[in-house]
Amino acid sequence: MLESIISYGLAVGAVYALIGITYNVMFTASRVFSFTAGMVGMLGGVLGALFINRLGLPVWVGFPLTLAAGAVIGVITEIITVRPVLKSIEQHLYVLSTLAFALMIQQFTAIEWSTESQPFPRLIDIGPGLLDQQFWLPVLACGAVIVGLELLYRHTLIGHAFLAIAEDNYAARALGLPEQSLRMMSYALAGMIAVLAGFAGGEILLAFFGNGPMLNFYGFVPVALGGMGSNRGAVVGGIALGLFQQAANFLFGGIFASVAVFVVFIIVLLARPEGLAGAVAVRRV
Amino acid sequence: MDATTRPLARARPLAPRWLGRMEALWPFLLLGMAGLCLPLLDDSYLGVIATRACIYWVLVSALNLVVGFAGQIAIGWVALLTLGAYVTSVLTAGTAIPALPPYLALAIAAVSGAIFGVIVGLPALRLRTFYFAMTTLGFATIVTQVALAWRGVTGGGIGVPGPVFPEPFDSRWGFYYFCFGIAAVCTWMTANIAASRFGRALVAIRDAEVAAEAAGISKPSLLMIVFLFSGAVAAVAGGLFASLQTYITPDAFTFDLSVLFFIAILIGGRGSILGPLLGTILLTVLPEFAAPLVAWSTFLYAALLLVIVLAMPGGIAEMLDFRNRRPLEQHREIAPRTDVLPRVLARSGERAALTLQGISLSFGGVRAVDTLDLTIHPGEVHGLIGPNGSGKTTTLNVISGYYAPQSGQVLLGAEALPQRAPQRRAGHRIARTFQTPRLIGGASVLENVMIGGTIAGRGSFVESLLSLPRHRRDEAALNEAAMLALTTVGLEQLASVRADRLQHSELRFMEIARALMLSPTFLLLDEPAAGLSAEEIRRLGALIVAISRQGTGVLLVEHHADLIFDICDRITVLNLGKVLAAGTPAEVRSHREVVNAYLGA
Amino acid sequence: MSLTRRHVLAGSAASAVALASGFPRPAIAASDPIRIGFLPALTGPSSSTGVAINRGTELAVEEINNAGGVNGRKVELVVRDTQSDPTKAVNGVAELVNRQKVNVVYGPLNSGEALAATPLLARDGAVQLHPCFVDSLTDPKKYPLCFRNAPTNQQIGASGNRYVLGVMKVKKVAVIGDTTGYGTASVDAYVPLLKQGGADIVYQGEVDASNPDVKPELLRMRDAGAEVVMPWSVNAGFLARILNTRAQMGWDVPVVGQTTLGSGQTRALLEKPENWNKVYANNFRSCSFDTNGKLPERTQAFVDRISAAKIEMTDTLLWWIALGYDSAKLIAETVKAAGTEPKQIAGYWDQLKAWPGVFGDITWTPDNHNGYPDKDLVFVEANSFRNGSFKIAPGYT
Repeated sequence: MLESIISYGLAVGAVYALIGITYNVMFTASRVFSFTAGMVGMLGGVLGALFINRLGLPVWVGFPLTLAAGAVIGVITEIITVRPVLKSIEQHLYVLSTLAFALMIQQFTAIEWSTESQPFPRLIDIGPGLLDQQFWLPVLACGAVIVGLELLYRHTLIGHAFLAIAEDNYAARALGLPEQSLRMMSYALAGMIAVLAGFAGGEILLAFFGNGPMLNFYGFVPVALGGMGSNRGAVVGGIALGLFQQAANFLFGGIFASVAVFVVFIIVLLARPEGLAGAVAVRRV
Repeated sequence: MDATTRPLARARPLAPRWLGRMEALWPFLLLGMAGLCLPLLDDSYLGVIATRACIYWVLVSALNLVVGFAGQIAIGWVALLTLGAYVTSVLTAGTAIPALPPYLALAIAAVSGAIFGVIVGLPALRLRTFYFAMTTLGFATIVTQVALAWRGVTGGGIGVPGPVFPEPFDSRWGFYYFCFGIAAVCTWMTANIAASRFGRALVAIRDAEVAAEAAGISKPSLLMIVFLFSGAVAAVAGGLFASLQTYITPDAFTFDLSVLFFIAILIGGRGSILGPLLGTILLTVLPEFAAPLVAWSTFLYAALLLVIVLAMPGGIAEMLDFRNRRPLEQHREIAPRTDVLPRVLARSGERAALTLQGISLSFGGVRAVDTLDLTIHPGEVHGLIGPNGSGKTTTLNVISGYYAPQSGQVLLGAEALPQRAPQRRAGHRIARTFQTPRLIGGASVLENVMIGGTIAGRGSFVESLLSLPRHRRDEAALNEAAMLALTTVGLEQLASVRADRLQHSELRFMEIARALMLSPTFLLLDEPAAGLSAEEIRRLGALIVAISRQGTGVLLVEHHADLIFDICDRITVLNLGKVLAAGTPAEVRSHREVVNAYLGA
Repeated sequence: MSLTRRHVLAGSAASAVALASGFPRPAIAASDPIRIGFLPALTGPSSSTGVAINRGTELAVEEINNAGGVNGRKVELVVRDTQSDPTKAVNGVAELVNRQKVNVVYGPLNSGEALAATPLLARDGAVQLHPCFVDSLTDPKKYPLCFRNAPTNQQIGASGNRYVLGVMKVKKVAVIGDTTGYGTASVDAYVPLLKQGGADIVYQGEVDASNPDVKPELLRMRDAGAEVVMPWSVNAGFLARILNTRAQMGWDVPVVGQTTLGSGQTRALLEKPENWNKVYANNFRSCSFDTNGKLPERTQAFVDRISAAKIEMTDTLLWWIALGYDSAKLIAETVKAAGTEPKQIAGYWDQLKAWPGVFGDITWTPDNHNGYPDKDLVFVEANSFRNGSFKIAPGYT
C-alpha cells in the first residue's frame, strides 16, 4: 500500500506542482491569476491523445506539436483576456475574463473531443509495476521545468528581463524593456509548462475534459499554500498535496479524501492568507 | 454672476417624484404584468420554463448583492441551492426525522442556508478575490460529495423525492404563482437594499474599499449580513427547485448551473437589479429556443461573458442607461457656496485637539516618519509640506488609521485613537480625502457623496429590506444632507451624473463633499489641489478657510506653496520623515533650512 | 349540426390565436404524423447508451416510413437531448408533452433523469416507455402509463447471483459501483440479493467514476480475499481502470458485472488486450453467440440489416442498438393496432404477450410493467467481442 501511495502520490503531485508553476509564471508576468492554467493542462492530455492516438503521429512529432499548441494558447490567453483588462481600472475583471475563456476551452473540448475519458498513448515501454514510466514521467517533467526555470531566470538575459518586469514594472519599462512582448513570452512559456503537465500525466489522468476544473483547483492549492509567485513553494506544496490526497484516498476512500484536502486547504489559507512562504503586502492607500 | 445669489438647488427634479420613480419602475411592472398573465397562454411547457426562471431569479437576486454589489466572486454558490434542495426534500420525505410540512421544511432550509452562507462567505474577509473564488468552488464540490456519501439521509446517488406544496400550490400554475410571488418579493427586497445605505456601502466596498473604510463602513459585518441573507434566499430557491424537479439527485446540481447564475449577474451589470433579472431570464430561456445549440449553451454563455467583460463591463444595465448618455455641459465651473456650510457642519462645540506624539514608522529599512510631533487645533488650517518622500502621506495615513506606527500614538484630546482601525475614525468625526480620488465610477455623484454619511443612518438591514419607515427617513435625511454638501462644494448640478464622467478637478471637490457628510471635527486633505486650475485652487482655498472657520480642524497636505502660505494658520515642514520646521507661515517662510531644502530663494 | 356563423367566427378566432402564438395544432387530423417524443442523453457523461440506442431507433423509424408508415401516417421522432442532466430532462418532458404534443414518450434512457421525469409524465397523463434499470422506475399503481422494456436491477442481480453463486460457485464477493444514481442503486439492490443467496460480501463501496486511481479499492478487495469482483457502472473509463489496475497488480480474479464492461469504448481504454480476459458482462441471450458461435436467427437478420445500413457496431454494444430498434417498432405497431390515445396504448400494452422483438420478447400485465423475461439474461465473455456481440460465458446450458 505504501508503495502505491508514494508512486501515485508523487506522480499526481508533480502534475499539480507543474500547474502551480504555470499559475506562478502567469502571475509574475502580469499580477494576474488565470483560470486557464488547469484547462491548458487538460489540453496537454487531450492534444497528446489527439496527435498520437487519433492522428497516428509518432511521439517525437506529437510532443513538440503539443508544446507548440500550448504556447499558442498561452499567447491567446494573454492577448484576449489579460492585456485588455490590465489597461482598465477595474483589476478584478481579469477573474471574469480568464474564467470565461477557460470555460470556452472546456466546453469546446467536451463537445469536439468527447465527454468521456479517452485513452492516452503509452509513451515509453518501461514498467509496469512501481517503476512504470507513468509514475516517474511527471516527476521528471517537474524536475526538468524547475531546473530549466532556474537556468532561465538566473543565467539568461531574457530570464533577467522576466524577473525585472515582475519586481518593478515601472522601473523596467522606464529602462526600455518591452513589457508587452515579455508578458506574451511569459504566457507562452506558461502554456508550454501546463501542456507538459497534462502530457506527462496523461497516462494516469487520461485524456478527459473533466481534468480541467480538477487541475485548476488542485493546481492552485500549492500556489495558495506555498505563496504566490514562489515556484519552490509550488513544488513542495504540489508533492505534499499529491501524497496527502493518495493517503487520504487509501484511508478514507474517494469522497472523504477530497473533503479532507479541501478542509486542510481552507484552514491553512484562513490562518495564513498569504501562504506559508509569505508575500509582499501592497501599499493600498 | 454672483455664486451667492443663485438659489439653492432642490433635491427633487422638476417632475413630481412619483413620476421619476415610475421611470425606474416601468420595466419591472411590465415584467410583472407579463408574468401574471402567462397562464392565459395555457402552455404548460412555457409554464415550466417560466417557473424555472422565477426560481433561478430568486437565487440570483440575492446572489446579486454578493457578486454584483459587493463584488465577491462567489462562483460556487450552487452549493447553497444544493443544500436548500436537500434539506427541504429530506425533511418532507422523512428520511432523517419524521416528515415535516413543506413550509416548515422550507423555513428550516432558509435557516441552514443562512448559516452555510456565512461559512462559505467567511474566507472573503481574509482572502484575495481569486482565492475566494476557488474556495467557493471547493464548497460546491464538497456539498455534492456529502450528498452522495450520506446515503441513509440523502439517498446518495439515487436521490430523494422533492417536496410537494399543499393547495393551491400543488398544481402546475399554482406552483408557478407561488414561485412568481417569491420572485417578486425578492426583487422588491433587493431593490430596497440597492437604494439604501447598505447597497451603496456594498458597492463602496467593491470599488473604493479604502474610501469606504474612511467613511466608517465595516466590511466584515456588512459582508456577513449579505452572505447570511443571500444564503437563506438561495436555500429557499433550492427547495423550490426540488419541487419543480419532483425528484433530486446530486447530478442535477452541475457546475454549469453555478456558472449560469454568476454569468447572469455579470451580463446584467453589477450594481443593478434590472440587469441581472433580464440576464437570468435570457439565460434560462435561450437554450429552449435553439434546440441544436443546447450542447453549446455553456460555451456561448462564456463567450458572451468574455465579450461583455471586454467591451461593456457594465452589461445590460449599462446598455439601458440612457440617462447617462446625454452629453454634459462642456465648460463647467465649480462654484462652492460657503454660506451653506453652517447647515452642513452644525454641531456642538468641542475643543479637543488632534495630537501626534513621537510617531515613528519604517517600511523595511526606510524610515518614513521619525519621531514626529504634530498638533491640529480645532478651527485652524494646519499645512503639512515637504519634498516627495518626506512622509506627508504616511503621516496622514497614520492619523486616519491605515498604518500603525511602530512607536508613538495619535491622540484625540486625551484619548488615544485605536491603531489599524481606519473604519473607526468616522465615528470620531475624522474625515479625509485621498491623493488619488477614490470613487465609485458606476454610481451617481449624489450616491458617491451619500456614502460619506453611511454611519449616520439608524435603520437596520432588515428595515431597509422591507422599506420600513425608519429606512425611508434615513434615506430622505441622507439625500438632503448630500445635496447640501454638494451645494457647498459647488457640484449640485451634477448630482445625478455618473461619477466616472466627471473631470478630475470635480472629483476632488466631490471627495470633499463626501468628507463633509460626517460633519467632521477634523478634516484631512491629501493634496486636494493637484490637477486644479489656478481659479479652482483659489476657490478651494476659500472653501477650506470657511470650513475651518466653522470650527473644524483641517490638516492640509500639499505641494502648492502659494495655497499653503495663503490659507494656513500653522505649517509643519517635513524632510526625510523628520520635522524640519514648524510654526506660523511667516516663521516657516523665513526659516533658513526650509528655504534651502525646499522653497528656494 | 349545421355550421352557424358563430361556429365560423369561433373557429376563425381560435385559429388566429393558434397561428399568432405559433403553436402546432394538436394531431387530430388523420393524416398527421405519429409523433414519438425521444429523450436520450446524446451528450454528457452518461451518453454512451443514448448514442447507441439512438442508432437503432432511427433505423426503425426509417424502415417504418419507407414501408409506408402506420396506416398511411408517417412516424416522426421528436428528439430532445437531455445532456445527461435531470433539469434538461424535466424541461424536455414539458416541451414534448405540452407543446409538441407527442403521442408517446420514449425515454429518458438514464435512471437519474428518469427518476425526475417519470412522475411528471404520470402527472401529465402521457404514456412512457423506458429501458432504465432502477427498480422504482415502474409502478403500475403510481405510474399506470409507464412501461419498461428492459430488465430491472432485481432481474440483473438475480442473474448475476445465478452466475456467480450457481455457475462459478464462489462465496467471497466484492461489489463496487460508481457514485451515480445507477451505480449506487445497483450496489444497494445487489448486495442483499447476494447475501440472500448465501454469498459473503467482503467488500462493498462506491467510487467517483472520474477518480484516476482505483488501486486502493482493489487492494482492499484483494486483502479481504475476494474471489470475484462485481463492478456496476456505465462509465467506460471507470471500468477500464478497474481492469487495468487488476492487471497491474497481477491479480487473477474474475470480473463479473455491468454490460458496459464489454463495450467497445471500454476496450479502447484497456492498456493491454489481455486485460479483457476473465471478464464477464451481463448481456442477453438474444444478442450473444451460442456455443456454436451463432447468433439467433432473428438477431442475425437484424445484424445483416444494420450492416447494410452502414451503422457502426464495433464501438458499442449490439443489444443497445437492438433495444432502440425494438422500442420504435413496438410503439408503431401498437398505434397501428390500438390507436393514439394514452388509454388505448396503455390498455394494449397491459395485455401484451411475448411481443417478438430482436432484443427480447416483451410481456406485460396490468400488475407488472417490467416486460423483459428473466431467462434471457445471461453473462458473456468480454474478450469474445465481435461487432457488438459476445460468446455466452462458460457454464450456461
